[in-house]
Amino acid sequence: MEVVIKLLFDILAFSSIMVLVVLGLAVIASMMGIFNLGHGEFVLMGAYVVFVFKQLGLPIWIGMTVAPFAVAALGAAIEVTFIRRLYEAPITAMLSTFAIGLTIREIVRVLIHGQYYAIEEPVTTPIALFGVDVSAWRAIIILLTVMLMTGCFLFLTRTSFGLQIRGALENPSLARGCGVSTSRIYAFTFAFGAALAGLAGALMVPLFSLSADLGVHFLVQAFLSVMLGGVGTFEGPILGSAVVGAMVPGFQWLREIPLFGFTIGDVVQPIVAEVLVFIVALVIVKFRPSGLLTKGRI
Amino acid sequence: MADVTAARGITRRRFLAGSTALAAAGWVSGSSGGWMLEPAWAADSGPIKFGIATDMTGPIAPAGIPTWQVMQLAAKKINDAGGVAGRPIKLFLVDTASDEKVAVGNVTQLIEQSRADVVMGGITSSMRAAIKNPIVNRGKTLYMYPQLYEGQECTPYLFCTGPTPAQQCAKLIPYLISNGHKRFALPGGNFLWPQLLIKYASNLIETRGGEVVLKEFYPLDQLEYSATVAKIKSEKVDCVFNMIIPPGLQAFSKQLYESGFQKNGGVVTCVFFDENSATYLPDRELQGIYSCLDYYKSVEDPVGAQLQKEFREMFPSAQYQFTAGTGATGAYRAMKFYQAAVLKTGGDLRREAVAAAMDGIEITEAPGGGAKMIAGTRHCAMNMYVAAAENKSYKILDKAEMVDPEECRTK
Repeated sequence: MEVVIKLLFDILAFSSIMVLVVLGLAVIASMMGIFNLGHGEFVLMGAYVVFVFKQLGLPIWIGMTVAPFAVAALGAAIEVTFIRRLYEAPITAMLSTFAIGLTIREIVRVLIHGQYYAIEEPVTTPIALFGVDVSAWRAIIILLTVMLMTGCFLFLTRTSFGLQIRGALENPSLARGCGVSTSRIYAFTFAFGAALAGLAGALMVPLFSLSADLGVHFLVQAFLSVMLGGVGTFEGPILGSAVVGAMVPGFQWLREIPLFGFTIGDVVQPIVAEVLVFIVALVIVKFRPSGLLTKGRI
Repeated sequence: MADVTAARGITRRRFLAGSTALAAAGWVSGSSGGWMLEPAWAADSGPIKFGIATDMTGPIAPAGIPTWQVMQLAAKKINDAGGVAGRPIKLFLVDTASDEKVAVGNVTQLIEQSRADVVMGGITSSMRAAIKNPIVNRGKTLYMYPQLYEGQECTPYLFCTGPTPAQQCAKLIPYLISNGHKRFALPGGNFLWPQLLIKYASNLIETRGGEVVLKEFYPLDQLEYSATVAKIKSEKVDCVFNMIIPPGLQAFSKQLYESGFQKNGGVVTCVFFDENSATYLPDRELQGIYSCLDYYKSVEDPVGAQLQKEFREMFPSAQYQFTAGTGATGAYRAMKFYQAAVLKTGGDLRREAVAAAMDGIEITEAPGGGAKMIAGTRHCAMNMYVAAAENKSYKILDKAEMVDPEECRTK
């Protein structure tokens, strides 16, 4: 029983981290049609803001609160200076986000002298879940992810500003005709996606430590999630990231389960489990080329 | 040490930052694209040209930069004391840029244009493998590799001055077993250095009466280890011999700690941990981790203490520490071995003469104690220290004198 709870908790925790990372990417990709290859660096910037607060001797949680706003400001600045000019050329926009990401990553590398820095979680005491001790911080991440996911969904579907966003992105001319400032909406949406990435980075940095390549490690899996879930909907990439996030620890756990007196892990190395995530995702996409969800609410 | 990280070229930003730092330190740009540090005095027969090919930029720079700084300190000390056989040491630096392709071109320039008499450098094993050919075979030059590594490098004219698996395990594993730790888990990154070190360690564990219950290799950027940690717990492992490197290291350490492994009496060992590891693991996870290296700042060693003092004076704003895990101690030994060999040849710098003189030579002054090049092996015996992390420092628990590297015996 203890193992099952631990297994479920670990899968849920890693899924939540993936969802957090993909949430911002999904908003920008699905709402704006921009594949932001610099998304990993927005995640990195969120983590870096927390590091700066730690270096200044301020509480970590203040850094975590400030991070999404700081990264949103950065996102807005990038949208106004670069992305805005490239909506008509999505490939160029994608390449420019790659260049922006690379620039941010290398600047952070110089700032942190290419080293790794540990950042302690604001809450370190484990909590008991059905009698099993689990990490309090991972539990908080799970809760926050659920809240954020719901919040984003409600914001985009139930508020008038959410309606303006969807309208501006679906039919910009009509939206402008109705008096909606589409350029303002675009900047806001991009900044909102960046803020979500910043928050993801700030929340997960205690689990992985800060390094210049922090965002890169998640970017490939994040894009895999978007591909698996389906582009064009808000829910698709979220579902995709939850599936990818569950597969990563899930396959490692599968190796440990005895089957007819034989453990797969004895013959299959962990590296195979990592590759298996990509194979399964590709097989799913083979049968569902548009991803798991082609029609969403948003 | 075969750290494998995505290779990168030199960006303009890095180049400018690096160039400014070098110029400020008195280095002048050479026609070959590298940098030179002139000695304060000259000799009729010219200086000894000591080439340094290390990672000044890129992900491995935190190890390359202190190695380069220690070489400057070593050269300054030798030159201030009158040089080697009446000749000063002139340093030539090229950046290997954590990128093997860039490195091969730069090292070739170091050999062909700067005409280095000896080259010291390379941090990762992939870098050593890439630059040894242009240095030793095509360049017909002596090569000294300073970093702790997986062993089995038996190329003629290539001298290794860092610890080998035998040196890092010979004292540590019996120490752990004698302290009641019998069931071992050996997780590692999936590349050559952890694989060979873990192979050596598991053989030694079994010979000494311990039991290896888990031996697995993971992708370098794997960030999820819950299944491994669960197995460590269910198999009642009492010692984790960890060879997972960053960035996976931090995720693994956290999950292991959160599982209550240390709280329930388990111990962790990471043989490459030095004083720098305090930055990348939180105190509570670092506390008590065992390591085994050729030098720690807490070693009672007047030579090491003096070197640390001089290092701080020479580089008051150094970003990286002078520690054993970076290759810096091996670099200092390399310079001292070369000095001793040239003294023995009476100033003859031909590589055959120097290599022959280096065979079996002994040095007395190096961080952590003296060292002896074992005849016919091109590896050196050195003192090794078993230590445990304690409040961002290392408490020395045991010492083994002149531990044999156990390499290249048949060659």
